[in-house]
Amino acid sequence: MAEKEMEMLDEREPLGVGEDVIGDRPRRYQRRRPRQVVPDYVDWKDIDLLRQFVPERGKIMPRRISGITAKDQRRIAKAIKRARSMAMLPFVAD
Amino acid sequence: MRTYEVMYIVDPETDGDKVAKLNEAVGKLIEKEGGEIVRMDDIGLKTMAYPIQKKEEGYYVLFEINGTGQEILELERRMRVNDMIIRFITVRVDEDRKKADKIRTKREARQVKRASFRNAPQAEAAEAQAEA
Repeated sequence: MAEKEMEMLDEREPLGVGEDVIGDRPRRYQRRRPRQVVPDYVDWKDIDLLRQFVPERGKIMPRRISGITAKDQRRIAKAIKRARSMAMLPFVAD
Repeated sequence: MRTYEVMYIVDPETDGDKVAKLNEAVGKLIEKEGGEIVRMDDIGLKTMAYPIQKKEEGYYVLFEINGTGQEILELERRMRVNDMIIRFITVRVDEDRKKADKIRTKREARQVKRASFRNAPQAEAAEAQAEA
């Protein structure tokens, strides 16, 4: 499992600018590499789950940061939108 | 047969009796139209993420309904004209749940298969012991 993740990281950073060069500081933004586990059924009422994908500002976290699969991202996004329409999550928060 | 989740927010200023009456009326309507109530959840007063009609709170009610869709049509029409209900949503859930079930059974099957490979030598040993 650990090896597989290493492979994926290499694939995404072809320049080889990694931990060796800069030290142990991550580049620019922090990727959530160990992907979060998304349940098989994403319940739009499960606010605690959805909050993990909604930073303070209230925007939906992009996939490059959340690190989940495209399929899961679509389901999460849809659930967030449903929760928003029922005022369970904010459209904008500041 | 389809499964729906219907959630609505009732004006927090209506008194409890009226809310209970409204919920009862909704239940009756569904049954009259040929639907079946799987679950009725009175979530209660919650602070909303943003104000609706200048109200900061709302009384949340959730229904889970089995039906053909006909009762949803009628229910939505009535909710739209009801002043007490400030917002509602209907979500069809049976398809997504079925998909989730499929994924789960697939994964479980895979795990069983994997475990059987991993434990094969041990299992054989155990079998040999049992025979002996």
